[in-house]
Amino acid sequence: MKHLLNLFEKLRPGFEKDGKFAAFKPVFDAAEHVFFAPSTRTKHLPHVRDPLDVKRFMSIVILALMPVEIAAVYFFGLRIVLMIAVSYIAGGAVEVLFAIIRKEQINEGFLVTGFIFPLILPPTLPLWMVAVGIVFGVVVGKELFGGTGRNLFNPALVGRCFLALSYPAAMSAVWLSPGTGFVGRAFQYVDATDVQAITSATPLILAKQGQLAGLSDLFLGRIAGSAGETSALAILLGGLLLLISRVANWRPVVGILGSFAILGAVLHYVRPDSFGPVLWHLFAGGLLFGAFYMATDPVTSPITNGGRWVYGILIGVATVLIRNLTGYVEGVMFAILLGNICAPVIDEVVIRFRLWRLRDER
Amino acid sequence: MKFKGGYNIAIEGRPSSDVKTLPEPEALYLPLRTSRFAFSDVCVEDGRRVKLGEVLAKDPENYSVPLLAPRAGLVRLRTAENHIVLEDIATAPQHLHLAEETAPHIARQMGSSGILCHKLLTLGAWQFFYDAYSGSLPEPFRIPQAIIVSTASCEPFLARGDVQIRRELQAFSKGLEYLQSLLEYQPIYLVVPDIESDFAWQLRENVRGYAWIRIVEIPLVYPNDNFTILARNLGLKPENGPVWALRTEGVLAVDRALTASEPCTARIISIGGPAVKTAEHLETVYGYPLNKIVDSYVSETDVRIISGGVFTGSTIEAKQLGLDSECSGLTVLPEATEREFLAFAHPGWRKRSYGKWCFLSALRGEFQEIPTTAVQGEERACISCNFCEEVCPAGIMPHLIHKYLYNDDLDEAERARVDLCVGCGLCSFVCPSKIELAAQFADAQGRIRREPRPSEERGKHHSEEATL
Repeated sequence: MKHLLNLFEKLRPGFEKDGKFAAFKPVFDAAEHVFFAPSTRTKHLPHVRDPLDVKRFMSIVILALMPVEIAAVYFFGLRIVLMIAVSYIAGGAVEVLFAIIRKEQINEGFLVTGFIFPLILPPTLPLWMVAVGIVFGVVVGKELFGGTGRNLFNPALVGRCFLALSYPAAMSAVWLSPGTGFVGRAFQYVDATDVQAITSATPLILAKQGQLAGLSDLFLGRIAGSAGETSALAILLGGLLLLISRVANWRPVVGILGSFAILGAVLHYVRPDSFGPVLWHLFAGGLLFGAFYMATDPVTSPITNGGRWVYGILIGVATVLIRNLTGYVEGVMFAILLGNICAPVIDEVVIRFRLWRLRDER
Repeated sequence: MKFKGGYNIAIEGRPSSDVKTLPEPEALYLPLRTSRFAFSDVCVEDGRRVKLGEVLAKDPENYSVPLLAPRAGLVRLRTAENHIVLEDIATAPQHLHLAEETAPHIARQMGSSGILCHKLLTLGAWQFFYDAYSGSLPEPFRIPQAIIVSTASCEPFLARGDVQIRRELQAFSKGLEYLQSLLEYQPIYLVVPDIESDFAWQLRENVRGYAWIRIVEIPLVYPNDNFTILARNLGLKPENGPVWALRTEGVLAVDRALTASEPCTARIISIGGPAVKTAEHLETVYGYPLNKIVDSYVSETDVRIISGGVFTGSTIEAKQLGLDSECSGLTVLPEATEREFLAFAHPGWRKRSYGKWCFLSALRGEFQEIPTTAVQGEERACISCNFCEEVCPAGIMPHLIHKYLYNDDLDEAERARVDLCVGCGLCSFVCPSKIELAAQFADAQGRIRREPRPSEERGKHHSEEATL
């Protein structure tokens, strides 16, 4: 530990203002601060600060993604790990590049984006598509808006949306059948060339043709689908950690799932042939993953609590309608992007209202 | 009474209720600057022997509040910069025969309350009064719409009201009676913690039958004892006149000045924090040499000594030699030195956070933290986690105001009511992005007060155009 600290001290002059590698200061800082937290002292009031920082915040998100990651590897094999590595390397390069250009610190938020992105892709997607998708997502979805904290859309969803529109066949017709047994596919590497393992349909596609997968398979995740979205159990476990640690706000989650359940139940009651049973739909597709991990992204969701409810309900309702009434079998991605677009407007209304209520305070 | 936001932290070194008297000093160092006052008008010359209670200096900006000699001694003006030093302290108290200074015209005009007010001012008790809204010294010789007396202290660590009253319960009720005599019919709100204890019961018994006292129970959550927050929650509007606020020590000072006609130079202060040996209360006078206190109480060398609590207190700099007249407690924090290895991956058994389940300490019961002056992270863009809004006692949206100020949009920040910020510092405390929210708001408030607002000017312009 001491040697490592000494190494950083020795390398530091090279990255200072007149050093040879001055341009790479953000990289140096990021590397140093990963290992050694800075011992900055408070200059302003208050004199003490809460121990929670953004690094910890993001580590909790990564920790909460672990059950999903484990489930993904169990059902779809080691390729998922490779996809995450590709996503990290390709997206990380973009992140570093922009940090150097802007002379800003490298932001931890990318670690979450790069981790989530492969989990919302089909498990056999070619690796180059993973790279293209994350690069597009980070550049267009985030950096063009000014970087983390200023982006309008969830970068991972922008990347996925781009892939879904550019490579519809690879993104919606090639799925992997899940592993079974004690070890599942945990020690296998399966890609699209393994014809036997490939299936062309997810439960939501089959449901359009009148075939409903078993509820327990849906709950555990023994179904075809995007890498991380299949296991409701794993998502609920990780989601619980997100909610109790208050890293994710509970309001969008409850808003989405609540409005989805209520509207879905009513529509199923009225027209059972065009709307599927509500519990089945809750566990199918990317709804849970989207609700817990994507819609709760604090940057792209409204910043007011009232706004978070509206946002959640909007996404829940949009998902029900897109899934059941349009040609698309899955609606979560579009619903959340729609929510992202509306978030600033929702906020504006809520803020106006709150400031109106504060007008007489002295 | 309903409070918004608020959050308690538990840090090590909470002062016990023991009160220890400090040994008589050899010399006193009286700082000429305190957080509210600048005693620029020095009334004594170098080398003069003064008696206890004699006026050493006055603050011309603040209704000429005096700096009184806490002991009899020899005045030295040039020994230390910005200090009046009293040497050769007399051990036996020599009381000053108060020359019956004639009260100013305005005081006489007001009758008895004016005379009392004048006495408070000249005997140094007026300095314990605060304007509930601005925190500054209120204007004397004016009748406020209400007085708030707070016996609660929620900030770690300020001198606790119960410790101060316990010794002088009678004096406290007497002080309240005097306060009432400054008023016509206006109420006195006595703020007490909503806890059951013998002492609370005793206090309530003592003021029973005082119809003009309204007891207000508050939960002991920081910053519920903040005067502005209390005044707002009591529905006292600034347009209806000033609100005076004082703490326990203020009431005791009123009693001392008006019953015994003695100068108010003695104080009970707290000393606490993770870097003190024994955290307790001290009976002392202002001007007491700081190094004497530090030597006998502080256990570490690299420390920050704070006058006041960890949220709102101010750092005592090396050039300040004695306790200032406004200090209500000393909090000693170790300075941050350690660079934690892989901090984000630590289990966090000893770190308590507002985001409770982000650290394993959530599995522990109550425990006291040992915080340092570390920022504990790097500054990042706001991630809209909403923690600041949840803890804000003023009901504003700190993250939103931060975004406006980040874009240098003072008008929007004003519309978002940055003026309601009471400076409790909780938003900066909880912020995981380590944004200096409270400091930014204080700065914005200052700019709004100082500058002629462009919006107003624009408005004026418009109306001028309209008349043209």
